[in-house]
Amino acid sequence: MSETIVLEPVAEDRAASLLSVRIGWRNLWRNRRRTWLTTGGIAFSVLLVMFFMSMQFGQYAIMIDSATSLMAGQVQVQSSRYLQDSRFEDTIVEATPLIRLLQENRHIVSVAPRVEAFALVSADERSFGAQILGIDQAAELETVRYVKMLKTGSNLAGPDDAVLGSVLARNLGVAPGDEVVVLGSGKEGGIAALVLTVVGLLETGMADLDRSLLLAPLSTVQAGFGLGDEVHTLVVRMDDLSSSDRVVTQLTEQLPDALTVRAWQEILPELKQAIAVDKIGGQIMYWIIMVLVMFSVVNSFIMTVFERTREFGMMLAIGMRPRAIVAMLQWEALFLWVIGTAIGAGLASLLIIWLHDVGIYMGEQMEDYAKQFYMPARLYPGFSREVLTVAPLAMLVGTQVAALIPSLRIRRLRPIVALRTT
Amino acid sequence: MSDVVVRCSGISRTYQEESVPVQALQDVDFEVCKGEFISLAGPSGSGKSTLLNIIGGLDRPDKGDVEVAGVKLNDLNESELSDLRLQKMGFVFQAYNLIPVLSARENVEFIMQLQGVSPAERASRATAVLEQLGVEGMADRRPGELSGGQQQRVAVARAIVTRPVLLLADEPSANLDSATTRELLEMLRTLNETHGVTIVAATHDPIVMSYARRQVNLRDGRIVEDKQNEAA
Repeated sequence: MSETIVLEPVAEDRAASLLSVRIGWRNLWRNRRRTWLTTGGIAFSVLLVMFFMSMQFGQYAIMIDSATSLMAGQVQVQSSRYLQDSRFEDTIVEATPLIRLLQENRHIVSVAPRVEAFALVSADERSFGAQILGIDQAAELETVRYVKMLKTGSNLAGPDDAVLGSVLARNLGVAPGDEVVVLGSGKEGGIAALVLTVVGLLETGMADLDRSLLLAPLSTVQAGFGLGDEVHTLVVRMDDLSSSDRVVTQLTEQLPDALTVRAWQEILPELKQAIAVDKIGGQIMYWIIMVLVMFSVVNSFIMTVFERTREFGMMLAIGMRPRAIVAMLQWEALFLWVIGTAIGAGLASLLIIWLHDVGIYMGEQMEDYAKQFYMPARLYPGFSREVLTVAPLAMLVGTQVAALIPSLRIRRLRPIVALRTT
Repeated sequence: MSDVVVRCSGISRTYQEESVPVQALQDVDFEVCKGEFISLAGPSGSGKSTLLNIIGGLDRPDKGDVEVAGVKLNDLNESELSDLRLQKMGFVFQAYNLIPVLSARENVEFIMQLQGVSPAERASRATAVLEQLGVEGMADRRPGELSGGQQQRVAVARAIVTRPVLLLADEPSANLDSATTRELLEMLRTLNETHGVTIVAATHDPIVMSYARRQVNLRDGRIVEDKQNEAA
């Protein structure tokens, strides 16, 4: 032979990659109807999943707001020991400067201090155990809702006023204007005794509260139980629920180790769990929708590979590597995803933004129910990072895998066999 | 001996067709020297396409050795064979096999892009070869907008633009009328004579055979005749 030629492996440079991109894009429009059907499927599933997710998140926002604004608040600060053992003595000492510190945080709208005690409440011959809450009426009104749920009478105004749960009042046989005597144990082990005048009755709809709650002014309870400037709980309302985690982190760093800061997820674990369970149900539905669409994408690529077998055979014959052909198909899948997702996410965003303003009317029956629990009568979809990312990213992975499954056949394709196909 | 581009020594190839073994090539010895224009002729099933495919590294013999441009094909894996085809060979197929979504120029540049040729050189070489084959006016048209003859010219342009050691053509005239076939063959002869391109064409078309300077006839997987075509 004239010369021995040493073969150098061919570098797959940027130009070859750009070539895959260009051919991939143009191939998309060889069968426009199929491309639009496939992108339509992707768009529809992205739209559907984004919309229903936003409805789900909107519903969660209402649930969380309803639950936290009733009584628990979105963040609570307590003594770590009180949290562990609920002992009356484990208080937050010097509450006033701490409240001021919390109020400096720009995300905190209001702080409601509470003294929590258990005592015997008597009227005439009747006595019942009750949960005594010493509250700052103004701060409580700003922070939570239950204080507004008066069945009759008025809120706390004077130092000796008391508001009772409606069932407790009935059990005691008292009404606004009557006197009740509170007897309990003070901090130092002494007797705590208060004589209060009932000014209002609460009806929250929650049996536990209505049966046992007695509200009295914070300073009265502090004085009666020998607490000075001490409280058990600081209930915090945020400007935005989403900032609660950030605020908890900030406050945990700022406050002494003896205090524990908890967000609503820790305060109301049953609510967190209910949302988690509901999310799983939703996710199963979303995955079913997306998997069904993926099947149509797989089908589309099986057709593509089948129709272009001879073309691929030619490419392999002239020296194109199988992985370059697979890359070309992956680009096609990416373009399908970009078009489908842009349409689906665009339409979903418009719909969500519009409904976020006007809401979805749930009917008269729901309106009455919602009014009863101080909830909005309309359902408002909510935006979140999950709403914006889950469906598009799942579809991205899905389309790439859907394209890869039939593309892998190319790795086993023999050029002479492929060139013979018609 | 020093001019040998292809050397096949004792190659055999058997296919299974519906579980029935078909002996496509039987102990074939065959050499191609630099600058030759050879037609592999014979009836259907004679083994001419199989021999062409084995020379092109698209198929492997069951027995025997194949060397192309000094490289023993038996020793190469699929990726190395792919590189060899890209760097040293040009292919012209019966059905043109151009990429339908690329223009004529892009089809010609396609193979150079795979080789990593710079954009400027790609453009100048593509222009030159399209001019040489008389299809420069069709450069921006896609294959669907070209006649069969024009498509085959573009396919030849794609095959020769990389300056291959060997040009392999499988039934290049199968889809062309006789006038277009003659035009194509004149062009191939010019490439062979003026540029020294070595051409091996598998065909059963007498016109193609008449243009080749050497004619190798196969029958039942064996070379039955190997003659110089004085008239070519």
